[in-house]
Amino acid sequence: MAMRDLVTGGAACAVPGSSSSSNPFGALANAILGSTMKAQDLKGLPESRVTVPTASLDLRPEDQFATIPGSEYENQLYQHADSQNSEFLRGFRSASHGSFEDAWGEVHRPPILPRAGVREIEGHFTEFEQIYDGGVNSNIHQIWDGPPQRVLSSYLHYFVNSDRDRTGFRPTALPALGLSESDKRCIRDRSCIMARHIFADKNEQYINEQVSSFLHCLDIDNNHLIRGPMQGPYAELEEYWNNSQTVLRPTVPHPADSWISEFSQQRASGDPEAWAHSFEKQHGANGWVSEFGQEQAQLLSAGQLGGSNLSSIAAMEQTRMLAHTLAQNNDPKFQNSKFLQFVSKMSRGELIVDDNQIKPATETISGDWANEFHMQYDKKPLEEHFSGELFHGANTWVDEFSKQHRQEEVDDQWVTEFSKLHVQDWAEEFGQQVAEGTFGESTTDRWAEAYDDYLDEQLAAKPKSSASSGVYVFSDMNPYVGHANPLKVGQELFRKGLLSEAVLALEAEVLKNPDNAEGWRLLGITHAENDDDQQAIASMMRAQEVDPTNLEVLLALGVSYTNELEQAEALRYLYKWLQNHPKYKPLASPEQSTSLFHADIARLFNEAAQMSPEDADVHIVLGVMYNVSREYDKAIQSFETALKLKPHDYSLWNKLGATQANSVHSEDAILAYQQALDLKPNYVRAWANMGISYANQGLYEESVRYYVRALAMNPKADNAWQYLKISLRFASRTDMLEACDSRNLDLLQKEFPL
Amino acid sequence: MAGSGSSLKSAALLEQMKSHLTTDVGKELVKKTDLVYQLNIATKQKIGVDDEIYVVDLKVGKVTQGAYKGKPDASFSLKDDDFLAIVTEKMNPQITFIRGSMKIKGSLSASQKFTPDIFPKPSKL
Repeated sequence: MAMRDLVTGGAACAVPGSSSSSNPFGALANAILGSTMKAQDLKGLPESRVTVPTASLDLRPEDQFATIPGSEYENQLYQHADSQNSEFLRGFRSASHGSFEDAWGEVHRPPILPRAGVREIEGHFTEFEQIYDGGVNSNIHQIWDGPPQRVLSSYLHYFVNSDRDRTGFRPTALPALGLSESDKRCIRDRSCIMARHIFADKNEQYINEQVSSFLHCLDIDNNHLIRGPMQGPYAELEEYWNNSQTVLRPTVPHPADSWISEFSQQRASGDPEAWAHSFEKQHGANGWVSEFGQEQAQLLSAGQLGGSNLSSIAAMEQTRMLAHTLAQNNDPKFQNSKFLQFVSKMSRGELIVDDNQIKPATETISGDWANEFHMQYDKKPLEEHFSGELFHGANTWVDEFSKQHRQEEVDDQWVTEFSKLHVQDWAEEFGQQVAEGTFGESTTDRWAEAYDDYLDEQLAAKPKSSASSGVYVFSDMNPYVGHANPLKVGQELFRKGLLSEAVLALEAEVLKNPDNAEGWRLLGITHAENDDDQQAIASMMRAQEVDPTNLEVLLALGVSYTNELEQAEALRYLYKWLQNHPKYKPLASPEQSTSLFHADIARLFNEAAQMSPEDADVHIVLGVMYNVSREYDKAIQSFETALKLKPHDYSLWNKLGATQANSVHSEDAILAYQQALDLKPNYVRAWANMGISYANQGLYEESVRYYVRALAMNPKADNAWQYLKISLRFASRTDMLEACDSRNLDLLQKEFPL
Repeated sequence: MAGSGSSLKSAALLEQMKSHLTTDVGKELVKKTDLVYQLNIATKQKIGVDDEIYVVDLKVGKVTQGAYKGKPDASFSLKDDDFLAIVTEKMNPQITFIRGSMKIKGSLSASQKFTPDIFPKPSKL
C-alpha cells in the first residue's frame, strides 16, 4: 500500500463537479508538489511545537507510512483529488535521484529524530528506490484535448517539466478551458510561485516570460486579475504547507533540486520549528489559519452550493484524515502542536449548507477553531475570512460557532462558556430567524458594511492609535510650511474661526519651532474646538513639555482627558493646575498629585474658590472636576458661577451645555450651546454637541442637520461621522448612508440645510 | 446623580444611560426592548478577572450595579475600553465579538438588540 500508492496517486477519483483549483486541497497538493519553498528567514517561534514525529521511522510498511504525518492524508488526498495531482506526482519522480537520497537521509538523521537508526534509513531507501525506479519510466505525454481538467493538468504538467527538458516552455494553443475567475487567479498565483521555483537558476526576466506565455495560453491576464490581499488565496497556505511538508512529510519527492537544498539548509539551521516560525513571521500569526478560512470562504462563495459543498466535504474529509494521522503520533509535542489542533478543528468545523437548511455536521466540532482565531491572530485576515462567509450564509458562521465544544485545554473561557450554554438553541434561533427572513438582506449587508468600515478603521486607526499614545500626527501637504511667520497667520485664522486652516498654519509653526509653547498650546485649543481630543491631547502634551507651568495648557489637558473619560489623567492635570497657580500653590502639597483622591482635590479647589471668589478659572476647573466625578449638579453650579464672571467665554458655555447634556438635561444644553455659537459661529465642537443633544432626545432629523454643519467645518471629525450615521438610520434616511460613507459633504449639505 | 466610586470609563456611560432612561426617549426604548442585559466590564486587562457588573434593565428602565437577580436575557463581558469604543461607534459589536474581545451569553436575538444606538452619546466639554 503506502508508499507506492502514495507516489502513484492511488485510485484517483476526482471530486465531481469541481475543477482542480476550487478543490483547495487539490490545489494544495499541486502547490506542495509544484511550488517553491521560498528561502525564508528561519527564526524561532515561541508557540509552535511541531516536530517531525519520530514514530515515522517505524519500518513496517503498512503502518510505517500510515504514521508518517500527512501521508495518509496524501493518500486520501489523491483519492479525492483530480487526476491532475497524480500526474504531477508521476512527473516528479524524475527528480534528481541522487540528491534526493541525500535529503532523504538527512531527513531521517537529524537531531530532531533521535530515534532514527541507520538500519531504518536504509530500509527506507530500499523501499523508495523500488518505487522510484518503477515509476521513472512512465511516459509523460501531453494531452491537448479532452476534458478540460485533463487538458489543464497536462498543460500545467508540461509547464513544470519545461525546465527539466531545458527546452524552454513553448506556447501552445489550448482549447477553452472554462476557467473561472478564481481559478484563473489561483493558477496565475501558483504558477508564478512554481515558475520561480522551477526556474530558480534562471533570471527574473526569464521567469516572467515563461509565466506570461504560460498564462497567456490559458487566457489568463496576469495584470487583470486582482491579486488577493496576500497574493492569492492559496499562496500563504501553500507556503505553510510546503514548510510543513518538508518537515513532516519528507516522503514526497520533489521535482527540483532546490527543495532539497533548501531542506538541507533548513536542517542546518537546526530548528525544527523554524519553518513555522518563518511562516508566522512572514505572514503574521494568522496567516495560514486565515488563509485556510479564506479558502473555505471562497469555497462557499464560489459557484453553486452543490459543487462547493462537495469540494468542501472533500476538503473536510482530507483534513480529518490528516488530523487523524497526525493524532496517531504519540509524540506529545506533536500532539500539542497548534497545527494539529487547528487541523483537527478545521476538519470538524465544516458545516453543510443544504439549500436553506442548516445541517449540522455529523461530527462534533472542537471549540477551538474560533478559539484559535481569536487567540492568536490579527484582526484583518479574520475579517477577510468572515466577509467571504457572510456573503453566503451568515448561518454557516453561527452554526460553526455553535457547534463547538471543548476537547482540549484552552486558556480562554469564551469557548467554555459557549459550550456550556444551550448553544444549540442559539443557533437554532438564528437559523430560524434567517429562515423567517428576519435578518435577510439588511443584516448581512449591515455586517458586510460594518466589516468594510472596520477594515477602513483599522487602516485609519494606525495613525490614530499613535495619537492616543500622545504622538502628534501632522497633516500632509501643509501649504503653510515655509511661511515666514506661521504663528501669526495661525492666530489670525483662529480668530476668524477658520479652525482647520488654523491647524495647518500652527502645525507649520511648530514644525519650524518645536519649542514654541504658544504654538503648541494654540494648536491644542484649536483641535479641541475642532472636536478632536486626540490631537488636542497630543499638542497639549508637547506644550506642557516646553512649558510645564502654563495654566491654560494644564486646564485644557484636564478637559480633554475628561472628554476621553480618562479620569486619572484628568485629575492629575487639574491638580497640576492648582499646584502651578501662583495664588493657590500653597494649598497643594507637591508630592501628592498621583495619589490624591478626587474628594481631596475637590476640597482644595473649594478652598481656593473661597480664597478668591472672583476668580472664574477656579470655578471652571471645579466644574470640570465635578464632571469627572459625575457630580453634574455641582458641576453645573460651578460653571454657572464662572459664567456670571465671564459671560463671553464661548468655551465656558459649551462646557455648561455639555455638562447639562451629560446629565440628560438636553433642552437646557441646547440653549447653552446656542449661546456658545452666538459668540463663536464656527465652534465645531458646539455644533457637534448640538447634534448629540438632539439625537439623545430622539430628534434625529434635527440632529442630522447639526452634524452635517459640524462636518462641513471640519470634515475630519470622525466621531461626528459615526453619529451622523446613527442618526440617519434612526431618521430613516438610509438613502443618505452612502453619501455618508463616501463623505460626500456637498450632497449632505444640500439635503440637510440648517 | 452622585458620582459612583467606579473609575471605569464605562461607568460614566452607564450613568448617562441611567439618566437617559428617565427621559421620554429612554422610556420609549424600554417599551420597545423589554429585555434585561448584564454587562461584565473587566477592570483589569483580562476579562473574567475582577469584573464590574452592571445591569441595564430595559424592562423596568434602570441601570444598576451588581449582578442581576435572575437570568438576564443576554450578558456581555468585555473590557472597559472596548465598551467605550462600541458605544461611541468606534468599533462594531459583531467584530468585537468575533475577535473574542467580547463574550456573549444568552439569547442571540437579545444580544443583537443591544446596539450602540441605544446608548446616549457623551457630549464634549
